[in-house]
Amino acid sequence: MLDYFLGEFSLCAATGALLLPLVSFAVIMLVTRPFPKLSAGISIGAVAVSLGVAVALLVRNWGLETPLVYKTTWVVSGQMSIPLGILLDPVSLSMLAVVSAVSFLVQVYSLGYMAGDPGFSRYYGCMSLFAWAMLTLSISGSLLQLFIFWELVGLSSYLLIGFWFEKFSASEAGKKAFVMTRTGDVAFMLGLILLWLQLGDLDIGLLNDGAAVTARLSTGMITLTALLIFGGIVGKSAQFPLLTWLPDAMEGPTPVSALLHSATMVAAGVYLFARLFGFFALSPVLMAVCLAIGTISLLLASSMAMVARDIKQVWAYSTISQLGFMLMGLGAGSFFAGTFHLITHAGFKALLFLCAGVLIHHYDTNDMFLKTVMICMIVAAGALSGLPPLSGFFSKELILGRLLDLSNPVWFIAGALGAFLTAYYTFRLIFIILFPRKSDDHDQADHHGHHSKGGAGAMAVVLCILAAVTVALGFFEHPILEFLNGALGAGRSMPVGHHGWLPVVAGSLAVVAIGIAWLEFGRKQARQVGFVEKLPAVAALFGNRWYLDHLYRYLLDKWVYGGVSRLFAWNDRRVIDGAVDGTGQSVIGLGTLLARLHTGLIQYRLMVLFAVMALLILYFGLGG
Amino acid sequence: MELHYATFPYLTSLLLCCGVGLLIILFIPADRPKAIKVVSAIFSGLTLAISLYLYLSYDKQLGGFQFAERYEWIPSLGISFSNAADGFGMPMLLLTGIVFFTAVLTMWEMELRVKEFFALIFLLVLGVFGLFMSLDLFFIFVWFDVSLFPMYLLIAIWGSTRKEYGAMKLTLYLLAGSALILPALIYLVVSAGLGTFDLLALMQSDLFTAHQQQLAFLLLYIGFGILAGVFPFHTWSPVGHVAAPTAVSMIHAGVLMKIGAFGILRVGIFLCPEGWRYWAELMAVLATCGIVYGALVGLRQTDLKYVIGYSSVSHMGIVGLGLSTMTIDGVNGAVFQMFAHGIMTALFFSSVGWIYDKTHTKAIPELGGLSRIMPRAATFFIIAAFTGIGVPCLASFWGELVVFLSCVKVYPVRGALAVGGLVISALFMLRVVQKTCYGPPVERFAHLPDLSLALGVPRMILASVIVIFGLFPGWLFDMINTATAELLK
Repeated sequence: MLDYFLGEFSLCAATGALLLPLVSFAVIMLVTRPFPKLSAGISIGAVAVSLGVAVALLVRNWGLETPLVYKTTWVVSGQMSIPLGILLDPVSLSMLAVVSAVSFLVQVYSLGYMAGDPGFSRYYGCMSLFAWAMLTLSISGSLLQLFIFWELVGLSSYLLIGFWFEKFSASEAGKKAFVMTRTGDVAFMLGLILLWLQLGDLDIGLLNDGAAVTARLSTGMITLTALLIFGGIVGKSAQFPLLTWLPDAMEGPTPVSALLHSATMVAAGVYLFARLFGFFALSPVLMAVCLAIGTISLLLASSMAMVARDIKQVWAYSTISQLGFMLMGLGAGSFFAGTFHLITHAGFKALLFLCAGVLIHHYDTNDMFLKTVMICMIVAAGALSGLPPLSGFFSKELILGRLLDLSNPVWFIAGALGAFLTAYYTFRLIFIILFPRKSDDHDQADHHGHHSKGGAGAMAVVLCILAAVTVALGFFEHPILEFLNGALGAGRSMPVGHHGWLPVVAGSLAVVAIGIAWLEFGRKQARQVGFVEKLPAVAALFGNRWYLDHLYRYLLDKWVYGGVSRLFAWNDRRVIDGAVDGTGQSVIGLGTLLARLHTGLIQYRLMVLFAVMALLILYFGLGG
Repeated sequence: MELHYATFPYLTSLLLCCGVGLLIILFIPADRPKAIKVVSAIFSGLTLAISLYLYLSYDKQLGGFQFAERYEWIPSLGISFSNAADGFGMPMLLLTGIVFFTAVLTMWEMELRVKEFFALIFLLVLGVFGLFMSLDLFFIFVWFDVSLFPMYLLIAIWGSTRKEYGAMKLTLYLLAGSALILPALIYLVVSAGLGTFDLLALMQSDLFTAHQQQLAFLLLYIGFGILAGVFPFHTWSPVGHVAAPTAVSMIHAGVLMKIGAFGILRVGIFLCPEGWRYWAELMAVLATCGIVYGALVGLRQTDLKYVIGYSSVSHMGIVGLGLSTMTIDGVNGAVFQMFAHGIMTALFFSSVGWIYDKTHTKAIPELGGLSRIMPRAATFFIIAAFTGIGVPCLASFWGELVVFLSCVKVYPVRGALAVGGLVISALFMLRVVQKTCYGPPVERFAHLPDLSLALGVPRMILASVIVIFGLFPGWLFDMINTATAELLK
């Protein structure tokens, strides 16, 4: 096996590329923390090598038919062995490239954005840790390994979201993100354990092999485990009902949001779905649930985005809605539609956040720079809205096409409505930014120290690269889909029907939505009040996130802190410990009582003597 | 189980290190605290070196009891001084070595009655080492009591927060435990009728009837279980932890609580497998209660050490749960968790010790911004918290994973509940981290010093051990597995 490993260039290169960010994390945290520039250099160098290797692997293995697999054991305990392995197939190769590209670009961008921050080294250390966890997650060969790195992604995003830990809202947001995703992960872990007990192996190749799974698992068991694992996806990808952590996670530095919301962290959930597509497709119930959850999240998040007044908040809601859209595509049975949207979304969402970062800080007064930023932002917004010929248009059209093939038209209508709303709220925000009316339009999400000038050049280059990708990616739809064809589980994907009129309808939907946004926010006479805001009750409902947060807060305060926890704490102090102390007290009491007999007073002695004698006489006298 | 005799009495020399160290400390004048500390560091370092050497040279292929030595002591009663280390004892010896050495280093700055303090610590650890290696029931009981007795003085003299109450409570509780263990041991020895206290001789099958085993196991389970913090006999533990000084908390939560679990395993499960089978269901129920209940109670505590005390109750529940599954993986996971929890909780208490020494408060609402004021101390605290949450690549994760896996197999509902407890433990650990380490620095603590590099060393050792066994858990599992495979053959 080792010879095979060494003989296969791809596997060796992947292993090396994966370990570099971990090494960089260790070096930064232990050695180079006092030297911020050096730390940044190490981290960026490591992720640049990863990117290089990822691209090389992609090129080398373009048209890969059978996945490259390498497995070794990490731990053996009794009957169970925990494998450590690499699985290179089209999905993981694409994910590897996307993740390392976005990480690299974000880290370069951060050179300017985070300059002067007292935690600069720590920032790059956490970034490296994050890159390591996410890259390893992408190429995991077994579900258990994937779960382990899934948890590590959660840990590193906690550290990054709560990066400015002195701010209460930031540390609270980090905690909330960790605990809410953990809630989903408990389901994931249970599903994984059940699956392991039934199959004895969690190899992703095996799980995607439909015939092998159905031969060993009952239908009910497949549905149960699939639903449990899906719970993890709901938490990680911030889908309904575990979606409220994501808007709060904006408390982190803006590049972190760009990283977490585009290709990593939240995308990991959708990636897991794509990774196990062959398994999930075995359970119609799960597919229906996935479709429903995706739809609810899409519409719910869109409604929230329509009234949000903070740039990052709007992008955060759009992330939830687009992830919901991906899950709709996957749940409707099309592996390609969901995966392709995942890839295109990574590019334009990163771009949106990075532009927002510049705008929030009025980073540089240089007009050329700001103009570049605005153009990039509009390109990305166009892609998010699904305007042709940008990348988002192509991937959305695929998903809508698949939804149209379903027998129930409701899903298509919901999907189209979601796409319409997305275009509306996106350009609502763009117009508000382009033609500001009030000075307090968007709250600033980041408040951190001073900014040193400089770094604008690097930032502009990063933005332009992402914008170019956003424009160009859609034209590579066919080669990419063909490449993905070789992925594990892709065989179970349903074909997407061709509807000649769909692109026209989808495009015009976006245009109409943008037109409405123009009427309300863009034109000169516009009062910049949306149609939703004219209905205060609805606006309040959307603005308060459908009161989901209030509900969770209530449950946590009333039932956990104020209910069970309080009851148990009381029980521990009063009942259990009370009984123990009570035993002690009663022993002391008994001793005190008995000690009274030994006071040494002759009267007492005589009285006791008399009483005892009297009782004895009575007993024997009457008894005899 | 096979006994492989040693060519050199390594295990006895481990005990001698403690004994000689104790004697030397007693002969150093009390007004030379520096000398006492140096001697303590040297001898505790020696125990760590020996236990590490033994750990590395234990032959995993061979398995069984190695480094065995046996000296007859009272032949007429069948009592012998007989020691050996197997896959269960070896990790515990290493754990004791690590925690002992780091605890001594942690107390480097203490000034109050230094001589007595270190002398008592040495006595305490002598008992702990003895128990982990002993193969004679009589000595197991003696070592058990040797390790309990110094606790009372250590807490009552050097403690804080209701120290007399805490010390008294702890001592009475643990004595109650030993009052259950002693009759059980005598009962077993007498009913075997072999006239020997030798554990391996008593392990022969069919020596005890099922009924005898059930009775003896219950007594042993409760007796040792009190020390292991088994719900509902756990309330001494938070109170005791809070009252104890730093090093004592470290040794206490890190090692002494393991004695309880180890006792259940070494005496209860080794001698009474039938009793184990009979009471396993009950063990699983109590363990699950402990996991969920401990975490929920911990959620509301406002004293740092109380929080850690309750987290110990919750984590030791995982050990109990693993033992209750009666599977190889469950027992492996339980022993792994014993080791991981020992290191983790030692790190916890040593970080809190620094915080308390400097701020003079353990009240969570009064603290804040420690990551800014004392970044090193806070970082170690956060690492310990993440270990407690069960983040992968930190040691505890593997114990939890393996235990949960085997538990869902045997007891699905209880297993699911225990897994659900993970959310609560994440919530309560992160809550503490947020309230103490994060947030703006508290004005009146802003000038306080951070850990010096030298004092960072013991914490660094503990943190490295957590990461090493988190990345390479196989080094521990392989060893434990040799013993488990033989036990459950």
